This record gives sequence, C-alpha cells and structure tokens, in this order.
Amino acid sequence: MTDWFDADTRVISAGYQPACLIDLALCRGLDSHRLMRGSGLFYEDLLLPDAVISARQYLKLVDNARQLLNADDSSFLLGQRLLPGHFGPCSNLLLHADSGLQALQDLVQFRTILCPLLSPRLVLDEHHAYLYWVDAVGLGRNRLFLFEACMTAVTALLRTLMGVTLPWEYRLAWNEPRHLEQYWVHLGERLRFDAPVTCMRLPRELLVTAPTSASPMLARIARQQAELALAAMPGQGTLSEVVFEALYRQIRKRVGLEQLAEQLGMSPATFKRRLQRDGAGFQELLDRAHTQLAMELYQGRGYSHEQVAATLQVSDRTNFRRLLKRLTGKSPDSLRVWLES
Amino acid sequence: MSSMFFLHRIKWLGLLLLANAGMILYLSLGEIKPTAIWDWTDIAGEGGSALLVLLWTALMLKSRPAGRVTNLLFVGLACLFLSLWMDTLDEFVALPEAWVWDHWLESAPMPIGFVLLTIGIYHWHREQLAINAQMINRERNFREHRHFDKVTPLADAGYLRSQLAQALPRSAAAQEPLSMLTIDLDNFNRINARYGHQEGDRVLQLVCQLLLMSLRRHDLLCRLAGDRFAVLLPNTLEEQAQTIAREISQSIAHLACRSVQQGERIVLSATVVAIMARQDDAESLLQRSNLAMAHAKQALQLKRA
Repeated sequence: MTDWFDADTRVISAGYQPACLIDLALCRGLDSHRLMRGSGLFYEDLLLPDAVISARQYLKLVDNARQLLNADDSSFLLGQRLLPGHFGPCSNLLLHADSGLQALQDLVQFRTILCPLLSPRLVLDEHHAYLYWVDAVGLGRNRLFLFEACMTAVTALLRTLMGVTLPWEYRLAWNEPRHLEQYWVHLGERLRFDAPVTCMRLPRELLVTAPTSASPMLARIARQQAELALAAMPGQGTLSEVVFEALYRQIRKRVGLEQLAEQLGMSPATFKRRLQRDGAGFQELLDRAHTQLAMELYQGRGYSHEQVAATLQVSDRTNFRRLLKRLTGKSPDSLRVWLES
Repeated sequence: MSSMFFLHRIKWLGLLLLANAGMILYLSLGEIKPTAIWDWTDIAGEGGSALLVLLWTALMLKSRPAGRVTNLLFVGLACLFLSLWMDTLDEFVALPEAWVWDHWLESAPMPIGFVLLTIGIYHWHREQLAINAQMINRERNFREHRHFDKVTPLADAGYLRSQLAQALPRSAAAQEPLSMLTIDLDNFNRINARYGHQEGDRVLQLVCQLLLMSLRRHDLLCRLAGDRFAVLLPNTLEEQAQTIAREISQSIAHLACRSVQQGERIVLSATVVAIMARQDDAESLLQRSNLAMAHAKQALQLKRA
C-alpha cells in the first residue's frame, strides 16, 4: 500500500506557498504576529532556509489571512503568485515544459510540492483536458478561498507559459457569488455556477503548442531534481488523498471502511480517528469518489444513466436516482439537461 | 489601538489626572457613605453615562488625526465626562454641607462642554464638506464604508451595483440616456510579474488618479476587480461615451509611468469599452459590459497573433 502523511506532518516548505501568502498579507499592511496567531509559528522561524510547516499550520495561515485581509480579491491575488512560483526544481520544470499539457501533467505529478492543500487531477478525453480538485485535508470554511486561489494559479500559469489568455471553462460547485467581477477579471467569462463538481476544462488542441521559453535540456535537469525532491517526501499524499485515490480505483469492488483500514494496515477505529483528525470523513470521501467518477463518465465519455449506474454498482433506478441527488444535488434528468446546456 | 494612544497620549494623561484630582479632592473633604444608603439607580444612570461619554471620546480620538477640530471635540467631551464623573462620585462620598464647590464641579463643566462640543461639531461639518469635495467622482450622494477598496481610493463593485440599481430606473423614468465604461489594462499580469505586485498596486493607483482627472463632475468611477475599472456616465449617449472611452484609452497610453526602483518607463495600454443601458437592470448591464470587454480583448489577442 502507498505511504501517506497526515495534516500534522511537516512537509510544506515555509519558503514556498506560505511565503507567497505572507508576502501578500504584509504587502496589504497586515501585522505578522496577528497573521501567525493560533498556528504555533513565528515569523522569524519561517525565514530560516529549511523551515517546514504542516498542512494544518498552512491552513491556519490561510484562514487568518483570509479573515484579516477581508477583501474579495485576496484569493485571486494569492493565486496570481502561486504558479509557476519559486518552488525550486518543480517550478523550473513547469517553466520549461514542452507543451501546456506537459505542464499540467507535471503539476499533477508534483502536486504535493506545487499544490499542497488542494491537489489537481487531470482527466483527458477526446476533446478536452479537465482539471478536477481533491481536498488534501478538511479545508472547512477556507475551501472556496482555496478553490479560487488554485484555479487562478493554474490559469495564470498557462497564460504565462503560452503568452496568451486561454479560453478555460469553469464549472463551479457553488452559487454565483456576490463578487462575480473578480471571477471575470481573474478567471474569465466562461463560468457556470451550481455545477455538480468543480472543474476547469480546455480544448486539448490549445495545449499542444510549445511555450516560447521551453528548453528540453533544462527541463530534463529540473525533472531529475524534482523527482529527488518528491522522493524525499514522507508519502505520496495526505491520508485523505490516498483514501480518495484508493476508493476511486476500487469503486467497482465496493470496498468498505474495514477493508480499506486493513489495506492501510490500521484497525478500523484508528483509521476512523486519523481521518477525523485530518478533518475528513469516510462517507464524505466515498461520496466524493463516486461523484468524481460519475462526472468523468458523464462529461468525458458521454455515458448514459444506465452505464453510470452499472459502473457505480447501483442496481435499481430508484437507488441511483437517490444517490445522484445526494452527490450532485440534481436528479438524473436535470443533471443531463445541465450537462448538455 | 496602540498608535491611537500614542498620538493622543497627552490628552489621555490630562483627563486621567483631572478625574483623579477630583476623586482625591472629594475623598479628602468628605466621608464615604455607608453601602446601605447608596442610590443604585443614580449610580447606574450617572456612572453609565460617564462611561459612555468616555467610550465616545475613545472612538472619536481613534478615528481622527490630531488637529483643531479634534481638540475641540475632545475638550467638549472631556468636560461632559468630568461633570458626570463628579456627579457619580457624589453618590459614594458624603460632603460637608458647608462646602458648596461640589455643585460647581458637577454643574459648571456640563454647559461649557456642550458649547465646545457644538463648536467642534460645526467645524467637523465644515471639514466634512471639504472632504466631500475631494471625493467627487468617487461617490454619489451616498456613503458606505464597507464598499471602500483596499488598494485604490475608490469604491468597489458592490457600490457600483447599488448606484446602478438607483440610477437605471431614474434615468429610464426621466428618459435620459445612461452609459457605462469598462476599462481594463492590457497585460497587467506582466507588470506584476516583471516589477512585483507592489509596483502593480502603485500603477493601479496612478491610473485611478488619471481616470479621476478625465471624468466630468457627475460621473462615478469604481474599481470592479483587479485591473478593471468601471465608470457610470449619467445622461450620456453611446457616442459621447465612445468619445470618452477613446480619450481615456489615449491618455493611459500616454501616461509616462515610471517604476519606483529603477525609474524605468512602464508602458501601459488599456482596452476601454462603452455601452449604453437599454432596458437593463444592474446585473444585465454589468454582464453585457463584461462580454463586450471579453470580445474586445479577444480581438486584441487575434490582432497581436
């Protein structure tokens, strides 16, 4: 079974994403002590070259910054600074990717370093590249903020690499917000709210052109260094990510909590407690895995309700209807209408 | 909070000394009343009023820079406080009948305080009129501080929405045209990437000042988001709006903006689109202006490619 780490393992370099956040907050005149409050961190310690912090601490910083900045554009401004970023070899790799698609694939491969709280998931079908998102820990009330920041970051990354603004389409699983203008300016005008699952997509043909700055040799060196950095991580993701991945891959087998606990080498009680401590629940992760697969099948492969039901191992219509309603908030027919409109 | 105490430290110290002196004077002359005859209604009424006046003083000092108006308001409020304070002390300390000064101490500061406060408020009003004159083009007859932007001295999209919601029905009823401009800087992300975000913020502030100068008296400028601004143009036909749009676009292109660090010229250009309201509500007008901006940007990208 895969290795994992939890929300309290110190894996995020303080000089990477946390530094971007702190820089933004200080630029807006926030007091560094108030920003650190409750995180158990000290500003001076974060400046040390090898300082690392945990996902929980980073999340606390995000929470503090969000509340103290108290502006509609903070998430978007943070996003502008995140990618390609200055995160050592991983950022270099992104800068020298030989196509937009390669950059997205690298982003996913090195997600624990490049995108620590919300990890991207790339799905390709015949026409489109889809980017979905998986919560690395329970994000609570910062979920929307982080979604906005991460999607802005990817948008800005591709714009930097390709030199043009790409026509990303965004499907967002929340209501149209009051600060819609921020979305227009930082993401674009192709927005759909109240989606069953949050994702962004782009026609594949726009991702094949080579960025102007790419250098194959520098990319190779960066890849080797980035792989070393990734190998030095204590696991392939947080417990939530690993569980989500396992559930997603084994959906047809309908694995339960006990089986998965056994696969991870823990007792069911420990497994449950650890998940809870990271702010996630087993049922929640199972629901997300179901939603993810269902949406991939609907959006990417154009499956019918019967085919999706069969893949999710739901035998009768009523149960499938009920499950879909719970997962996406929409009945099968209204979901179809939403997807086709 | 700390800076407020520092800026006004002498005022606070003076008030504290006076209040203490009053208390010591009463204690030295009179005797403490037994708890049984304390009048709790009076204590709550007078003591509570004294505390509230102290709170007003603190809030007033915290929100104002030092100056003549601040001093007047402070001395007025301080007199009110001292009068109420002595009144409250009176409830705890029995003073000898022969001593009549206590009435003076309790009653005299009150009218003086009210007079000073009135003069202070009058000057505050004059000051506010002067500030309003500076705020022209940034707000229209209505203030809501929750809509102030953090980077530029402008109101945000929420304020624009509320103003549109008022102006649209009014102009429809009066059969007057109403237009809106949207201004978006081209490749602003490159300025941020090249010169840093602080420089980017400064460019936004400069552009904001430039825009304010190119507007008429009754126009309203707001910052929509990021590098996008919107101008509400009451009583303006589309053609006039197009002319203003062209002028703004030219003036931004000619703005010789230089970076703080090296004094390097930062070349700016902006896409400006003008639309006129046609049976729109605030939401649909904003939506339409956003689409117009998207098309203009796309055309620009195609032209460059």
